[in-house]
Amino acid sequence: MPAQEPLLSAIAIAKSFGGVQALRGVDFDVVPGEIHALLGQNGAGKSTLVKILNGVHPVGSYTGAIKLGGKPVSFASPADARSSGVGYVPQEIEVLEQLSVAENVFAGRTGLGDGMLVNQRRLEQRAGEIFADLGIGIDPGAYVASLTSAQRHLVMIARAIVMKPRVLMLDEPTASLSGTEVDALFAVLRRLKAQGVAMIYITHRLPEVLAICDRATVLRDGQVAVRIAREDFDAETFIFSMSGQRLQRLFPEHAAPVGAPTALEVRNLTVAGHSGAVHGAKDINLSVAAGEIVGLAGLLGSGRSEILHGIYGRVPAEGEIRVAGGPVAIGSPSDARAAGIALLTEDRKRDGLLFNLPVGANITIGNLAPLSRRGVVRGGLERSSILAAMRALNVKASSPLASVSHLSGGNQQKLLFARVLMRAPKVLLLDEPTKGVDAATRHEIYRLVVELAEKGVALLIVASELEELIGLCDRCLVVADGRIVDEFGRGEGGEDRVLRSVAAAQTERHAKASQVSA
Amino acid sequence: MESAADVSSPPRDGQSFRRRLIGFIAIGEVGVLAAMALLIVFFWLLEPAFLSERNIRAILNVVSFVGIIAIGQTILLVAGEFDLSVGSVAGLSAVVAAKLMTAAALPVTVAILGGIGVGAAIGLLNGVIVVRLGIPAFIQTLGMLFIGQGLIQVVTGGYPVYPLPEAVSTIGSADLAFGLGWSFAFFIVAAILADFVLRRTVLGRNIYATGGNQEVARLVGINTSAYKIGAFIVVGALSAIAGMFVMADLGSGGTSIGSGWELTVIAGVVVGGVSLFGGAGTVAGGVVGILMLKVVQSGLVVIGVNSNWQQIAVGVIMVMAVGLDIVRRRYFIAGA
Repeated sequence: MPAQEPLLSAIAIAKSFGGVQALRGVDFDVVPGEIHALLGQNGAGKSTLVKILNGVHPVGSYTGAIKLGGKPVSFASPADARSSGVGYVPQEIEVLEQLSVAENVFAGRTGLGDGMLVNQRRLEQRAGEIFADLGIGIDPGAYVASLTSAQRHLVMIARAIVMKPRVLMLDEPTASLSGTEVDALFAVLRRLKAQGVAMIYITHRLPEVLAICDRATVLRDGQVAVRIAREDFDAETFIFSMSGQRLQRLFPEHAAPVGAPTALEVRNLTVAGHSGAVHGAKDINLSVAAGEIVGLAGLLGSGRSEILHGIYGRVPAEGEIRVAGGPVAIGSPSDARAAGIALLTEDRKRDGLLFNLPVGANITIGNLAPLSRRGVVRGGLERSSILAAMRALNVKASSPLASVSHLSGGNQQKLLFARVLMRAPKVLLLDEPTKGVDAATRHEIYRLVVELAEKGVALLIVASELEELIGLCDRCLVVADGRIVDEFGRGEGGEDRVLRSVAAAQTERHAKASQVSA
Repeated sequence: MESAADVSSPPRDGQSFRRRLIGFIAIGEVGVLAAMALLIVFFWLLEPAFLSERNIRAILNVVSFVGIIAIGQTILLVAGEFDLSVGSVAGLSAVVAAKLMTAAALPVTVAILGGIGVGAAIGLLNGVIVVRLGIPAFIQTLGMLFIGQGLIQVVTGGYPVYPLPEAVSTIGSADLAFGLGWSFAFFIVAAILADFVLRRTVLGRNIYATGGNQEVARLVGINTSAYKIGAFIVVGALSAIAGMFVMADLGSGGTSIGSGWELTVIAGVVVGGVSLFGGAGTVAGGVVGILMLKVVQSGLVVIGVNSNWQQIAVGVIMVMAVGLDIVRRRYFIAGA
């Protein structure tokens, strides 16, 4: 690490929320041209620290000092921080869907500083220059509504970069990206690094830290647990310092059942694509045995989620679906549920949680029939089954009446697991079950998946992290352009096999396309 | 993340009291009730006649008409939609029923059922168009507001339907207790029933889920279209019933029945903490909100304030109530 003056430094930052100490005297700094990883489990204080550094928690709500370029600063708002050169890309995608990419990039400054009128052409031209500079291949004139979530994330990064920040904070920027998109993002970050931007990189994914970060600070219980320089980087060290204990094995052991009956069988499933960017699925044939864990590997937008949605009746699909040998007609999610199929959706905020209902009602929603008599919910019975479900899945909430928005990502995810498991499904479809959860919860979810398989549940999982999918699943199906292009069992292949199969499929398709046009 | 709520430390006495207090304040109706109590005391101090038997009766009587609609509107708002045509539907149903029992000489019961049928049918139409065709409720029900007003004129030719059979006036002038009649009795029973349904039944919980996030509700197997259409039908039928109670009260099928109610009803339930964005609020809250609006209107009349200022007061109260509700949610429920 070059002994440079820190560009941004936080000194002895402490903050509490209603009696709970979130940060207890944290020192943190970042130097120009450095990518500094900020690690820690959910609740360790990472988000609080970042929110203080970018003005979301205004000056006065915490103790300690912030220095930017050696001078003390106090941010009263995010806008204040932004104009001082501190940019922030939040974890959640916050775009204006009805506007164009360029308008989103310059949101709030569409006048480009010369008057009240918006010059669409200049806006697109300027956005195009920024994209070219960063190597982003998105049409600045396109509507954001037509973009994939990865592309939307890049738009948000571009929006932060437009302000020419000296410090850029990225909160889990890869949460919705798949392999190649992560590479594209890293290329962008490396360019910014070469330009001398200081970056704070929050993530749960250790391989990314190893790949791109120069230094790492691990927070635990609101304090700095350890600071690690690049030459001492090691995944085990990170896990150890984040959890305070060494996790024994990343993936619990599980063997594919032998001679188990087929629980889910899908024949010629076809799902129409939508909004151009996203592929549908074509002629999908797959089967999952009771007690088997099957993974759908593939890039974002390859059609893996569409397969799950088609099986669950979330989107219109053609084809034949059999559950436990019997054909079922699935026209809607309620048909799928009646057949014993459950789906855990990818995006907790958009199609998972009900923010108007408390924790308990979020678990029982859709599962109230056995908890009611003649349509009236039996309060005592509901409460006891909620508490049982919360205990079983280790959902940490102050009470069943607590608000779901207060829960950490990991607890929200476990809550949604509690919801889908309440009906004891025979087939469980999981779409990115560990997205945005901390390492410890991730491990709990792995154990849960294996436990369910041992109880005879058939599991079909989509996950962007190939290491996770391969480690967890008995069998992996590789999806590319809406088709299954490869299949291999546990121990028969790794991440490289998936990537090679996808590449081969894409090359083949390309070759076919050029043959047709020739 | 990092908030007090997910830390499950054993509560100390002080904390537990604070939590209970917060829980109490967090109940939407309490704030409105407290504000209303203050206003009642205020008006009573300025003019003791405000709490005269006659005035209380007059307030409750008016509340019973609009309140019946507020029950339906609350359910519909919780389900994530709203209806601007309630006043028109009330008026149209009343004049249709009046015509059926006079011009068509049908028995009063049949005519009343006909009127309710008109209200329910319009609710069904609103619901199907909003849910199946995807036309925003604002546009569809605003359109229906005008259509209903036009149809009232078409049905009546612009003249009140009069005289009505004896039985109708009997219903209208009945004195069950404290000078309050059938409309108040129906209002109370319907409010208690609807509050129970929303609070305690599977149906109610599914309505909250539908209004909270329609896609989530669909994914957990709830037929959200049916719930929304059903809520539109309930609003239509309750509007019709309210319109006919007014008709009975007046003893004639007047062409101005229900005129202007749509905004009073929405303002009232919003004052009572029912969210315009769906998924939040209770029937008790909505009903208390309407009561509060009427208390203010009546209080201003009693203390001799010019009627123009009454409208201004209603507007100010509605905006303030929603503002207070947002502050309450932010500081007490969010706990940050």
